[in-house]
Parts: sequence; structure tokens; C-alpha cells
Amino acid sequence: MTPTPRQRAERAGAGLPPLLLAAERVAAGVAPGVHGRRRVGSGETFWQYREYAAGDPASTIDWRRSARGDRLFVRQTEWEAAQCVWLWRDASPSMAWRSSETPPLKRERAEVLLLALASLLIRGGERVALFGTGARPSADRNTLPRLAALLDGSSGEAADLPPPRPVARHAQTVFVGDFLTNPEATLARMRTFAGQGVRGHLIQVLDPAEWELPYRGRVRFEGTEDEGAWLAPRAEGLRPAYRARIAEHTEALRAAARRVGWGFTRHRTDRPATAALLTVYHALSAARGRA
Amino acid sequence: MGGLALAAPWLLLALAALPALWWLLRVTPPAARRVRFPALRLLMGLQPREETAARTPWWLLALRLSIAALLIVGLADPVVNPPERLHGDGPLVLVIDTGWPAGATWGDTRAAARRWLDRAARSGKRVVVLPTARAAPDTPPGASRALDPAAARERVNALEPHPWPAELAAVREAVDALDFDGAATAVWLSDGVDAAGSRELAVALQRLGGLTVHRPAPTRRAKLLAPPDTGDPSFTVTLHRAGTGAPETVPVVARGADGRPVSTARARFAPDAATARATFDLPLALRNRVRRVAVRDAGTAGGITVLDPRWRRQRVGIAAARDAGRPLISAPYYLERAVRPFAQTRRAPLDELLDATPDVLILPDAGRLPADQRERLRAHIRDGGVAIRFAGPDLAAALAERENGQGKGLFPVPLRGGGRNMGGAMTWDDPARIAAFPDSGSLAGLTPPADVRVRKQVLARPGPAVSERTWARLGDGTPLVTGAREGDGWLVLVHTAADASWSDLPLSGTFVRILRRVSQLGAGTAERGGGTLPPHRLLDGFGELVPPYGAARALPTDADPPPLGPAHPPGLYGRGGGTHAHNLAPAVAAPEPLDDLPDGVTVAGLDGRDARHLGPWLIAAALALWLLDALAAMALRGALPRAGAAVLALGLVTLGAAPAPAQDTTAFAQKAAEATRLGYVETGVANVDRTARRGLAALSRTLARRTSVEPAEPMGVRLGRDPVVVFPMLYWPISRRQGALSEDAAAALRRFLDSGGTLVIDLREAAPGALGGDSPSARALRRLTRAVSIPPLVPVDSEHVLTKTFYLLQSFPGRTTGGRVWVEDTERTGSEVASVIIGANDWAGAWARDDSGEPLHAVTPGGSRQRELAYRVGVNLVMYALTGTYKADQVHVGAILERLEQ
Repeated sequence: MTPTPRQRAERAGAGLPPLLLAAERVAAGVAPGVHGRRRVGSGETFWQYREYAAGDPASTIDWRRSARGDRLFVRQTEWEAAQCVWLWRDASPSMAWRSSETPPLKRERAEVLLLALASLLIRGGERVALFGTGARPSADRNTLPRLAALLDGSSGEAADLPPPRPVARHAQTVFVGDFLTNPEATLARMRTFAGQGVRGHLIQVLDPAEWELPYRGRVRFEGTEDEGAWLAPRAEGLRPAYRARIAEHTEALRAAARRVGWGFTRHRTDRPATAALLTVYHALSAARGRA
Repeated sequence: MGGLALAAPWLLLALAALPALWWLLRVTPPAARRVRFPALRLLMGLQPREETAARTPWWLLALRLSIAALLIVGLADPVVNPPERLHGDGPLVLVIDTGWPAGATWGDTRAAARRWLDRAARSGKRVVVLPTARAAPDTPPGASRALDPAAARERVNALEPHPWPAELAAVREAVDALDFDGAATAVWLSDGVDAAGSRELAVALQRLGGLTVHRPAPTRRAKLLAPPDTGDPSFTVTLHRAGTGAPETVPVVARGADGRPVSTARARFAPDAATARATFDLPLALRNRVRRVAVRDAGTAGGITVLDPRWRRQRVGIAAARDAGRPLISAPYYLERAVRPFAQTRRAPLDELLDATPDVLILPDAGRLPADQRERLRAHIRDGGVAIRFAGPDLAAALAERENGQGKGLFPVPLRGGGRNMGGAMTWDDPARIAAFPDSGSLAGLTPPADVRVRKQVLARPGPAVSERTWARLGDGTPLVTGAREGDGWLVLVHTAADASWSDLPLSGTFVRILRRVSQLGAGTAERGGGTLPPHRLLDGFGELVPPYGAARALPTDADPPPLGPAHPPGLYGRGGGTHAHNLAPAVAAPEPLDDLPDGVTVAGLDGRDARHLGPWLIAAALALWLLDALAAMALRGALPRAGAAVLALGLVTLGAAPAPAQDTTAFAQKAAEATRLGYVETGVANVDRTARRGLAALSRTLARRTSVEPAEPMGVRLGRDPVVVFPMLYWPISRRQGALSEDAAAALRRFLDSGGTLVIDLREAAPGALGGDSPSARALRRLTRAVSIPPLVPVDSEHVLTKTFYLLQSFPGRTTGGRVWVEDTERTGSEVASVIIGANDWAGAWARDDSGEPLHAVTPGGSRQRELAYRVGVNLVMYALTGTYKADQVHVGAILERLEQ
């Protein structure tokens, strides 16, 4: 029996520690969670003792600590807060494709990555939601099954890029897709999100054939989204030019992401999903380190 | 014949269309493969670096053009060695020898016939086919109608050689009766063996038109194998060949009833000899098993001769005391001389002979037989034996005595008391001659000797049965030999004596012939005289024994064997055990070469080159190229998986690899088993193994010097990998560092112990009570033998066999002393010899010597005496392993000596 995407996603995420997102600027009023912010704030974990200063509420004085000396100490806790992460994956027909029997469909792999990420985030106490479905971010036990069900049900939309809907400020986004559209369009869309103060990460999922162009001989290429057809008299002759072009495309995407301060990860479907997950994990951790 | 011709040359015109094909192929590019590709946007507008091959590549073009060319040329059907046309306007008359010699070269004959039929087909002629041997009993060989070549081909394919002679006279009549216009082409595919009327046939054929005679090379012509002479003590067959000239050696194989070879002999033809003899040197038991003799790969019925029981050398027993008074003129002497040519004789008293149950029992002048002997003899005869009694003074006396008592003797006919004298001083009669042998008896066909006179005989009492039981008479009609069936056997009486006192018969050749004929009665020979024998196994035209076929009829036995033919093919006749061989050899004349041909006849060999049609090969080549083209087209479109080629290459590479370990094991077992060797278990600990090897080597030398055991170099055994069961004794030094035994190793040890091997375990640690205790070695032993069932053990006491198998020993010292020796408790386990001996004194350490013969290790407490004792322990151990408990008798030697003294 082939495992469902959700099973595979949880399996892919099982090896990683709970992913803790670093938040740069978090507004007050964010729902508290287990997310230590390494700064003083409202929370339950002890953070530090500070000498009493005028203006501190008397209730914050730690009498037990203060009794050991002459001065008064205030007990401070670490600020803990949960983050909202909005996830989105490309469900266009170009994603429902694979070059041969071996690698999975690009869309399948995208969903696996998405769910694995969601699974990790929930374990880290983050709240996740599927972008564009209107569901509220949540972090309870049922979130993951609900996400899986939503992914299964929402195959109809054919947008290459996430719709420009408003997102809560300071939320995180992770967009998974092939991003084979014009990099300029992708940059423009990212800008609309970044303008709302949203940080994000792009994961580009490509089939190995889209990377290598392994075809030989006389080949008539046909698009998956009614782009037309292109007859290559000798496909192997096109290979160097194509490779340069796809590398250029990817680099353009990476540059665009960097311009808005987002992360960018490239993933091939013939590589294990864990590898991509690890990369994203590192990217998000790096973001935390910068915090 | 030779060269190359085209059957349909006009088809080559199609080659003119090739340029058009070339043009067509050139402008049509291969079809494109359709691929869905999401990143099409990136692909669009890309220009390949090199110029596209919009046209078919030149090599593909060449491939396709050659396919077309091959097809066209193949359909035009080129023929190598095309058949020549026949001249003349008459038909082709094809005479094909199908007599017994034809089988030897039948394949060539058929090929030659095919070539002539090809020529007839090419010339559009009709063909008359004439086989020379008859296929059915009542139709002599005749000509077919004039057939078209295809029908003639079927006719020829249906022909086969027969195991009987050809009838050329009948064929000549058929040739004379042929009626057609114009000059025919006559061809005689001969077997190369002359037959009656061959010249006349050749003349008749020549008259039709030109005659070509094809005959095989002299060495390939059929040979005729004559069966051995039944009277010849040596087993010699005679081989006849058609023609002389070259020396030749022909292997001849004697086979048993099941067809297996019994022996092989060689017949060597001298250059000028047409016959050669091959003698089989066989013991009697094997010789009697021979049922047929055949020239190897003869292929004809003449090359095989089947044998029936007449050729069996029988065991003839002559009932007489071994030391007769006058050995050279006594009856047993005459009988032995007469019988020896065809049988093995044995002279013994009757009782002994009856125990040995010979095929034929001869009783020369036995008087009154004791009742029990008579009954045993009667039973012997009823079981199929043949008894030949001779008259004589004792018999006559017994008869005279019985005349009064009216007793009943064991005779084929009732006898009158007393004998009859002829030609004596007191008689009127002259000695009688032997009359012609009656046709009904077993002796029918023998020639009565003119010079034999019978002076004395015993007389049969006249009665109704006497006449029919009489096989030989004297001139006056009185019986000389009478015989009667008794159960399955025969009782025969010769009415005169077996020595020369009563008659001259024992001095004549007739005596031998009578004895031989009568002896054959007992050997399952089909009954002669009346009746017929159904075919049992027959020879076919290729000299194979096959079940009865065709129109084979039963063989009449009362007259001379009927001529060979479809009704009576050669082979074995008879039912059940009694078979009669009907062979070609005496019936047909020895083969002569077919040389006497009239002038003007073209003589050729049977070989020739067949017309070979190249068309099918060319078309097959075109098909193969077409497959190649399909592959190439796939490759051009990128559809050919590259993995396929890799798999192919991998398969070719892996073909070279071959497994080796099995061979290794066999070699080890062979080496270990070729001599008695001591073995030791390799522990994998280098110095322990070295000590064990050197110790056992030194012990082996000691054994060779002091005892009759001379072991070869000891061998190390890797348990579980090498076979151990070949070693009588296995020495196992226990080392703490040896790894645990694998499952295979434990199984090998179990097998070794179960199969009676002796395992000597040395703990190499002289701690008292080491075995049961908690010493490191004991722990190692327990760990190592966990999977081996060690039988219950007892310590060796002073009475144990181990203390006395070679040396008398009180203790078992090795490099150390004091360790106890434990052996399997044979009283509890019930085995004869203990299979496990466990010591602790590091025996191998004391035995081991280096290359210069110096001891490798010091012994403690020390002394050369201790080392000597260690060797004695080793000798005793090996002796125990090899001889078991036979020295246990020594236990009683004290008591025996004591008893002797008393």
C-alpha cells in the first residue's frame, strides 16, 4: 500500500527537531505559545532577576530572592509567543507532471514538503494555515489532517503564483511551486506580500528532466498549460542552451527573493524530500540567528 | 556442377528502382517523438548549437537501401552449384539399391538421388524410380510409372534399405519392360556390392541411354559379419569386405541382451585380404552374455549378427569319479574330448554335479542309480536340464538284474534286460552301421557316418512310443539314440557305450555332432522339428534390432532356413527364452566389389555438391537488417533506453565469472582422503595452529618409524568449510581466542562424531580438574562446544584401552603433567570406541619439533623421559582411533595366562 501524502510528510519530518521559527518583529497581542523569544516578556519560564526599579509593580518582586540580600529583586520571565505560518503550494497543471515513472509528481512532492513543514511547525508550537483557503491558523492536533484534506480537495485552482490576499502582519509564508513563470512576475507578487511586512520562503520544486533536458533526437515538446508546442529537431543539441537558461531562471528567482529578504530553496523530485526539508529548516534557522 | 545461377533473373530489374527509393528516403525525416514538457516556456526560441539533421542520416539511408537490395536479390533466388540440365528427351531412370548393403551409405545415396532429381526438375523430365530389393513378400521389385520430379522425390524419400538381398534379375526384367520414347538417362545408385545379375542389369540400363553408376568408396561399402563358429572354443567372428587393396581396421563390438557393450575387438584386414577375423577374449560367464556382435557404426544388417543359445558355451557335467583307472581310454575321457569344443566340462560324481546344476549332464554307463539320486536327477531334468545317458557294462548288468525285479529305470524308452552283441565270436550278426537319421528327431539332418560299426547295444522294449522317440537307428532299425521330453528338459539315452569298447562311435566325428546337437536342447534353443517360430526382434535395413515389422512371418523350423526376404527378415525368432537366430551371414554370399561393368558406363562416386539456394539466407539477412533499422530509428528518436545496452554488456561480462569454492572443497577432500592423515582443527590463533601442525607432523614421523601406521603430512581443517569426515582422528587444541563455532562448523563436528571419527580435545592447561572447573580453558571449551553434543565422559582409569593400545601407559603427560584425561563413557553411550577424548596436558606442545628436529617447546617438569612418554601417548591415541578396542582383549591376558599355566 502506498503511503498517503500525510504519512509520507510526517515520515519526512520525523528526523528533524521541532522547527522553531525566529520572529524578528512581533507585535504585542500575539497569542502566547511555547516559543521562547530570548527576551523579557510575558511567559512562564524564568528568564532573569533584575534589581527592583521604581515603577515595577510590587507583585513582580521575588521575595524569596530578595530575602537573601539587602536589595529587592524582580523576577522576570521569558517572552513566549507563537508564530503564524501561511503555507501555499502551486496546484497548476504544470505541477501534475513527471518525466518518467521513477520520480513522484512535482505536485505530490510539493504537498509532501508542505505537510512535513506543517507537521514540524505544529510540533514547534507554531500555528499554520493553508494560504488562500480562508481557514484560521491553528496548532491543535487536528490541524494536520485538516491541512491534508484541504490539499486533497483544492486541486481546481490553477494559479502559478499565490493570490495577492492580505495576510496578518509579521506572519511567515512558505510558498512551494515550480515558479516557471516570469521571475519578474514572481518578484512583483512577493513584493506585495513583503509590503505587508510578511516574511517568506520560496521552494522551487523541479523534475530532474526540467533540469537536465535528457531528451534525444527529434522531439516535439508540448506544454502542459496550453502554451503550444515546440519542435526540436535534435533535442540533445538544445541541452546546453536550455541548461544555461534554467540556471539563469533559478538565479533570477533567488535574486528576487533576496531583494525582498525572503529565502529561496531549489528542490529536485529525484532527491529525497528530507533534503529539501533540511534546507528549508536551515534557512529558517538562519533567519532566527539573525534575529 | 558448379558456379552460380539465378532462378528468377528478371526480378533483378527491381534493382533499378533503388535510386527512387534513395530519393524518397532522403527527403523524409524520421517521425518526431511527442513529449509533454512543463518548462516549455524556457525551451521556446532556443536554437541548437549545431545544424539539425532534418534529413535521414547517410548510414541509415545505406542500411535501408541494402535491405531493399538484399530482398530483391534474395527473391531472385541465386543458386550455388546449380543442377545441370539433362540431355535427351526420354525420362530419367533412377535405379536405387535398397538391398542389405545399402544401409551403409544410405544418406549419400539419398543425397545423390536428390541431386539427380534436381537435374530432372530443372530439365522438366519425368522420372522412373526402381528400387532393387522387394519391399513386400510377393511383389518383386518393379519400376514406378514415369513420375514428375516432385512425386519422384516423395517416392525416393519413402524408400529405405532392407535387410535382405537385392534381386537384380527382377529389376532387369522391369527395365526391359519400360516403354517410352527417346533416349533416357539411366542412373544406378549402387551400394558398391556385386550381386547376381548386376552386369546384365547394367547392360539393360545402358541400352536405354547413357548409364551412370554411382558407387561408394571401397572403405565405405558394407561389410558382412559372419557369426562365430559354434564349435570354436575361441569366440571369433569373421568379417568380409567388398574388395581388397588397403589395410583396414574395423572395431567390432559384442553386446549383451540389453544392448550394452560386453567387449570390443578389432578386425584387421591385410591389404590383400577380403576377410578378417576378430577374436574376443572373454571369460565364459561374459561370453554367454553376448547376444549380438556388430561392426561399430556399420549401418547395415550385414554388419550385425545376432546369436542364439547355440552360441552359448554350455556347462556340461560328466558324472564320473575324478580318478578313473585308465584315463586315456575311459568313457569320461572320450566325452570330455568330444564336448570341449563347444562347452565347458566338469567331471565330478553325480551328487556334486546335481548341486552345480550344469546345462547338460552326461552319465556314462551309470548302472543302477540310488533312489534319491534318481529322483534328484529327474527333478533336475524337469527343471530344464538335459541328461544324456550312455549304455555300458554296468547298465547292461543293472538291466539284467532288473529283468527279474521288474524295476523301472530312468530311461526315455523301456529297455529290455541284457544287451545285444553283434559281430562277436558267438554271434551271427555283423556289427551294425548307423542308418540315416530320422527326420523327426532332434538329430535330423546329420549325415550318417559310413565307417562306424556298433558291436554292442542295449535294446529298447518294443512299444508304441519307441519309434517316435528314436533319434538315431542302426541299420537293422534298432534304436541307437532315443530321447524324450521330461518336464522342461530332455532325457536322452545312447544305446551304446561312451568308450570304444562297444562301438566305433566315440571315435567318430558323428559322436561330437550328436553330443552338440543334443546339448543344445537344454539351452533354450527353439525346438527343432515341426512348428514355426514367430519373429521376436528383427533387424532393419540399418542393422538395428527392432520389433517385428512389415510382413514378417513365422520361421519354419523343420527345413533349411528359408531365404531372406520381407517374409523372413534376419533377426531373432521364437518366443519366450527359446530364440533362434536368423542371420544374413551364412545365407548371403560374401560381398564382392561391383567392378564388372560393361564399357561405356560412367562410374562416379556417391558424393557431390548439393545445389544451395542463397535466397532464404539473403532474405533472412534483410530481415535482420530491418530489425537493426528499427532499433536505429528508435535510437534516433531517443526512445532507445541506454540501460538496455548496459544490461547486455553486463550480461556478457558476468558470463565469464564462474564459481570456484566447490572445486576447492573437492580438492581438499581428495587430498585428505588419498592417504591416512592426522587432522587438526584450525583455531585461527596462529601459534596454536603452528604448534598443532608441527606436533602432529612429528607424531606422524614417530608413528611411521615405530608402528605400521604411516600417516601422510597432517592437514589443518577449517571447521564448516572443509570436509572433516575423511580424517580418522581430529586434534583440537582449545584456545580462548578462538571465535565461536558457526552453525556449519558445529554441524560438521556433529557429523564427524556421528560417522565414527575420534575427536581429541586438548585443553592445554594442566590444572587439576580443569574440565569440570571454572578455568579459562574449560570455559572456552564449553563455549565452543555449545552446539556439539559431547557424550558423557569418564576419567581414564588404569584399565582403559587407551593405556594399552600400543604402549603400556600409567599416565598421559604432554608438555605438562597432571591433567586428567577424560573419554566418552562407552558403557553408558553404548558405542564401541570413544569418539571424544579430552586431555589437558598440551600434547602437541610436547610433540612439536622444528625443521631441524629440535623440540619447539620445553616440557615441565622436564626431562627427555617426559617427552618420550608424550609421544607414546600420541601413538596410543592414534592406535586407539584407528583400531578401536581390539586391544581390550589384553585385559584378559592375565587370566588367560593363568589358565594356560594350570
